[in-house]
Amino acid sequence: MNQENRSNQKLEFRNMDQDTIILGVIGADCHSVGNKILELFFTAEGFKVLNLGVMVSQQEFINAAIETNAKAIFVSSLYGHGDIDCQGFRDLCLEKVLDRILLYVGGNLVVGKTPFEIVEEKFKKMGFDRVFPQTST
Amino acid sequence: MRIAAIGLVPDLTLQLAKLAAMSAGGKVIASYSFSLTRSDIGYLENIQPDILLFSGGTDGGNSRYVLENARKLAASSLSCPVIYAGNRAAAEEVVDLMPAKEVIVTENLMPEVGQVNLEPAREKIRDLFLKRIVSGRGLSEIVDLFGTPPQPTPLAVFELISAIPQYQTDWSDLAAIDIGGANTDFYSNTESYLETDTVILKGIREPKVKRTVEGDLGLRVSAHSLADSGWAYLEERLKGLGLEVERLRKHLDKIALDLDYLPQSEEETLFDRLLAETCVYYAALRHSGGWRETYTPQGRVYVQTGKDLRRVKAIVGSGGFLAASGSAETMRRPLQKLRTYGQERKLLPEKPLFYADRQYLFSLLGNLVGKYPKEATALAVALLENLKDED
Repeated sequence: MNQENRSNQKLEFRNMDQDTIILGVIGADCHSVGNKILELFFTAEGFKVLNLGVMVSQQEFINAAIETNAKAIFVSSLYGHGDIDCQGFRDLCLEKVLDRILLYVGGNLVVGKTPFEIVEEKFKKMGFDRVFPQTST
Repeated sequence: MRIAAIGLVPDLTLQLAKLAAMSAGGKVIASYSFSLTRSDIGYLENIQPDILLFSGGTDGGNSRYVLENARKLAASSLSCPVIYAGNRAAAEEVVDLMPAKEVIVTENLMPEVGQVNLEPAREKIRDLFLKRIVSGRGLSEIVDLFGTPPQPTPLAVFELISAIPQYQTDWSDLAAIDIGGANTDFYSNTESYLETDTVILKGIREPKVKRTVEGDLGLRVSAHSLADSGWAYLEERLKGLGLEVERLRKHLDKIALDLDYLPQSEEETLFDRLLAETCVYYAALRHSGGWRETYTPQGRVYVQTGKDLRRVKAIVGSGGFLAASGSAETMRRPLQKLRTYGQERKLLPEKPLFYADRQYLFSLLGNLVGKYPKEATALAVALLENLKDED
């Protein structure tokens, strides 16, 4: 996550200490390292973080968000099938009356070298509030 | 004990509410997730459960649904006590919303997502049982006579199954099955999940000691519902043995009405055994978890849901049919058949030994576990009959 994104995030959440956010790697993806780093980072930033780990389904994200009254779901995907795994995520949220939840997605979201702008547009069309590329600086 | 269970998400708090109710020896007669509807309330008013177990939300999490449901319950004519085991942050408001009901607040069944905390609610259900049902049904004489309150059979068996591995070290992982006329109970005491790099657990981590009770699986009152639920298994067995479906139907009609009926012919004995196998098959199916194989870019992994029973070393036929006339084969065959179910590999005991509680003493000894744990558990395992293979 780059500097610019990080500062934006702080703005949005500044006065919401101990809000719950849900983290997880979606689909059949087993990359767990980045997710653990995110967990440490957001915990240090004062959030209550629920990390669902790897291979998380849409329904699992949503179940956890309902029980915890979470403010945001942060979806990670590294293996290139993020666009398939994330399809209909926002619709399912609405279906389950999670109508105000923030949906963020980040990682290596599609197969191949697609320009990030196109990836971003694709995921925003799916209903994600923010989309992050796979950058580590 | 007839318990109605309310949770929020079906796979999370509702699932735990049902497990807590069953582990306390209760029977779940109704269960609801999310918002209660008017007809849900109507149904509850109609059946009047003995206890309502009310949960939903993690601590500090969702309170919208429990508050909404508390209002609806307050306006209902439900007269039973309510055990509230939901979001702690909403507990006081829930109590305030239901001034005319007896609300007992206890710890949340799921304080955090994935954290399972059934014991406090179980304790409250037990207390209520003793207070209400014992004194209400004239059982207080028994308390005077024996110095301890009697426990309902399933709770007593649960306590015994919990205590055996603690006091009898050779009996570390065990399960028990009790097939009765109306229900089939399945108990297990074993770690539910063994964490490895290639097995990922989805859903809640189930408790080490677990009881499930199946109201549609039984050999007399529930014979017809057993045939409905278990037809796939039954039909295959009948075919394999060359038996006629019609004759089984007749047998079912007879036994469903005559609760004390004992088989009169060899064929009837065989039918009863097939029905018992069917009870074992479906009770085990619902009690046990499974693995689904998935390929990921990192290789093959197994996704586990539910409880892993592979390490169970002993299975006890602890009551009803299995105690009286069960054989190892009555349990082994359906368990063997269940190893794969659909795309799932079921996590069943790998090399279990089979036992029978011939004299049906488990529930009686379970009553003594509180006071004499060592003696009661020692007696329980000493009296078990090791079932040898007959075939």
